Amino acid sequence: MISAYYFGAISLILIGLYAILTKRNLLKILVGLSIMETGVNLLLISVGYVSGRTAPILTEGATPQTTVDPIPQALVLTAIVIGVATTALALTVAINLYEKYKTLDIEKIRGLRG
Amino acid sequence: MMQYASLLIALPLFSAFLVPLIKRAGKKVILYYLSLVTLIQTGIAAWVFKEVYTSGKPIIVIAGGFKPPVGINLYIGHFAALFILIIAVVSFFMAVFSIKAINVDPIDKYAMLFLLLMLGATGMIATGDIFNLFVFMEITAISAYALTGYNKTGEASEAAMKYIVLGGIGSSFFLVGIALLYGSLGTLNLAQIAMLASKINPTVAQAALALLVFGLAVEAELFPLNAWAPDAYQASPHPVTVMFSAFVVKAGIYAMIRIVYLFKDTQAFMGILNLLLILGTLTVIIGELSALRQTNVKRMLAYSSIAQVGLIAVGFGVATPQAVDAAVFHMLNHAIVKTLMFLAVGYVAVTFGSPHMENFKGLGKRMPLTAFAITVGAISIVGIPLFNIFWSKFKLLLAALQVGKTGIVALILGASLVEAVYYFRLLHLMWFEDGKGEKIEEDLALGIIMLLLVALIVVIGVYPDFVWGIVQKASADLYNVAQYVKNVPLLQGVSP
Repeated sequence: MISAYYFGAISLILIGLYAILTKRNLLKILVGLSIMETGVNLLLISVGYVSGRTAPILTEGATPQTTVDPIPQALVLTAIVIGVATTALALTVAINLYEKYKTLDIEKIRGLRG
Repeated sequence: MMQYASLLIALPLFSAFLVPLIKRAGKKVILYYLSLVTLIQTGIAAWVFKEVYTSGKPIIVIAGGFKPPVGINLYIGHFAALFILIIAVVSFFMAVFSIKAINVDPIDKYAMLFLLLMLGATGMIATGDIFNLFVFMEITAISAYALTGYNKTGEASEAAMKYIVLGGIGSSFFLVGIALLYGSLGTLNLAQIAMLASKINPTVAQAALALLVFGLAVEAELFPLNAWAPDAYQASPHPVTVMFSAFVVKAGIYAMIRIVYLFKDTQAFMGILNLLLILGTLTVIIGELSALRQTNVKRMLAYSSIAQVGLIAVGFGVATPQAVDAAVFHMLNHAIVKTLMFLAVGYVAVTFGSPHMENFKGLGKRMPLTAFAITVGAISIVGIPLFNIFWSKFKLLLAALQVGKTGIVALILGASLVEAVYYFRLLHLMWFEDGKGEKIEEDLALGIIMLLLVALIVVIGVYPDFVWGIVQKASADLYNVAQYVKNVPLLQGVSP
């Protein structure tokens, strides 16, 4: 059962990578980047997942034997925040690029060469 | 007393958040405030450096009173102490340079990002926890993206976008590597990873290390992921270029080497070393050949910088103690020389509007001090004796000869030859061609900084022994993993 999560996570990473490498529209590339980050987050979560256990929140009856590994979840929280910051910055830059070049096609945005 | 070393992280962070308050006092004040903060940081870094090198013991800061591996620790050993000092000094110089070079608004955002970039690089070098390393890497990366696009021209945005996309791919790879390591070892502490390294399946270790190396290759500017570097160097504000070349790259390559060397005694190590050698060699060849045909001096220096990083990676890839010594020495020398070069070229670009080759015609007559600084830097990079890079290249050559890798000897000599071609072309342009325009009054503060760096280059070149001793201690910190594990006070009885 756990392998389904790994399979899903890795396919998400590959879909994202495919979008980054082949798409010409800048926004599609950024969507690909987000998909890739989601896949990585899913992979991290599934590393710490133990089948049949509950969320690692300190409530009554929660012991280390009944919850999943909390560390990957803490890591993913951090990774999500970082991902949001990167995406927001990337979109800001994309707006700026559109204002300067009047296009989002990366084949046409070529001010720097050599 | 030791806990005060955490100020190295805390000071830039708090100062960055104080910037909006300082802004009320006026725009020019912000840049002076920036110089003051970086000066204090330099003071703390110098104290830490003295403390580590006189006591011979690393400073270990334990966050929140939880011993590692439960808590997160900072590990400031000989290597980290040396490079944190370099980061602080270069940042201070660049804060002074910013007063002259930065006049695009919003300056308060610039000061904030500047401090965060310094904080991120310091943290990457000081941390002892692999996920903490990821967080600091992202702090460095995000502030670097924003600073690259700071000028808001089309070119700057384009360079920033390239950097963001490559950096995003890199950080995803890095996280997958962390997931593999955590999944098989159950720990994130670097010392504990090193302790358990022999228990991990060699194939998994190799895959995880390859992913981590590729993830960090973005920051470290190794070949397949360094397409952003020349553009970012060219388009970002001049002080930021210096910071990229002097320490952001170094922090990336340090993190890479630290993680790879944790697995020194396992089977996975040899494969990763070969990967490093191949990546480094390709980086040197492509960097040098691309530098040859540049007409923009800043871009040419960027390619040269990439090639030097490739040489450092090759040195770490050889992985004998002598080669690691040489590579660390080259890191130090490269940081000094490239700070000088990018500072001087940036100053020329600020004065004449752009760092194009045209503007360097007859520079020897118009800005003699700056031209002199560029000359010393260029001669040093090419590897002429009596200048500092000669010694690190020479030691690297000897280390490669010792293990019989003649290919690397040929690589180093070939790279020096190509460097000689394009640097001497620049020197010829500066001293022997007539340019138009009168002599220009040079800035006093920048002149003093440049002369200091020139003096450092020559002093290390003539008396390398003192610095060589420091470098050997620093590289032992990197190479001697058993000692590293012993130094970190791991909580007994906690095992994954």
